[in-house]
Amino acid sequence: MKKEELIIKLKAIVKPYIQDEEAFKNLTEETDFINDLKINSANLVDVILDVEDEFDIEIDNDSMEKMLSVKAAIEIIEQKLST
Amino acid sequence: MIGNDIVDLQLAKTQSNWQRKGFLEKQFTEEEQKMILISKNPFAQVWLFWSMKEAAYKSFTQEIKKRFFAPQKFKCTLINENEGLVVFEDKKFYTNTFLSVFYLYTIAKETQEQIAIFSAIGAPKTIDIALKKKLTEETGILSEEIEKRKTFIGAPLFYHQKQLLTQSCSISHHGNYGAFAFTLENES
Repeated sequence: MKKEELIIKLKAIVKPYIQDEEAFKNLTEETDFINDLKINSANLVDVILDVEDEFDIEIDNDSMEKMLSVKAAIEIIEQKLST
Repeated sequence: MIGNDIVDLQLAKTQSNWQRKGFLEKQFTEEEQKMILISKNPFAQVWLFWSMKEAAYKSFTQEIKKRFFAPQKFKCTLINENEGLVVFEDKKFYTNTFLSVFYLYTIAKETQEQIAIFSAIGAPKTIDIALKKKLTEETGILSEEIEKRKTFIGAPLFYHQKQLLTQSCSISHHGNYGAFAFTLENES
């Protein structure tokens, strides 16, 4: 799967939880889930569970620890999809 | 360092589904999960533990200046209805939680001793103003001259010109509520 496709899928996943529309519209790899999109920290686990469902992967605790940005999420999804 | 966390219970009901598959398993220890499931009010128990973890995390990250998402590693135990202990690796955080019908509010600190913590709950949009007012009361410095700055991990600090006023500071927003907690630079 191309990175652009991953970002589109990830964007759809985070959409229900974002609280900053402007940051969401301008989402890039550098976007931070909490600081930019203002996702409530209690909803981070929902993003992770949704990613697991969408890509049919399991995100272990070590990976979950890093999942704070689009970039980190993409890297983790790519890594899990390739193993 | 100190940290705080507020949960708007009405919003938590609709914003999160704690019964969702994986929700408890990913964030809570087995012991916490057991306590949640046998609790008379599992919903309140979930958010009590969550706010303890979050408040401890916010205290810890001010010190290590690094962010991460590992709620399960912050292990909660309750001392009594309001007081708790959160253990993260070799660190201990002592928590105090205030529970009302509308919200749940936790403050975490690294010491068991009584320290001067200034804290209040208000509206999310005016919480910075309320914090500055409190700082004015305590320091005599005019509110307009107090400036909020953020560290690169996003932790708030309040300054008067070059002088740091808050030794540790934590601000939390959720739904209809905002809350601040800080300690003063010249105390403790």
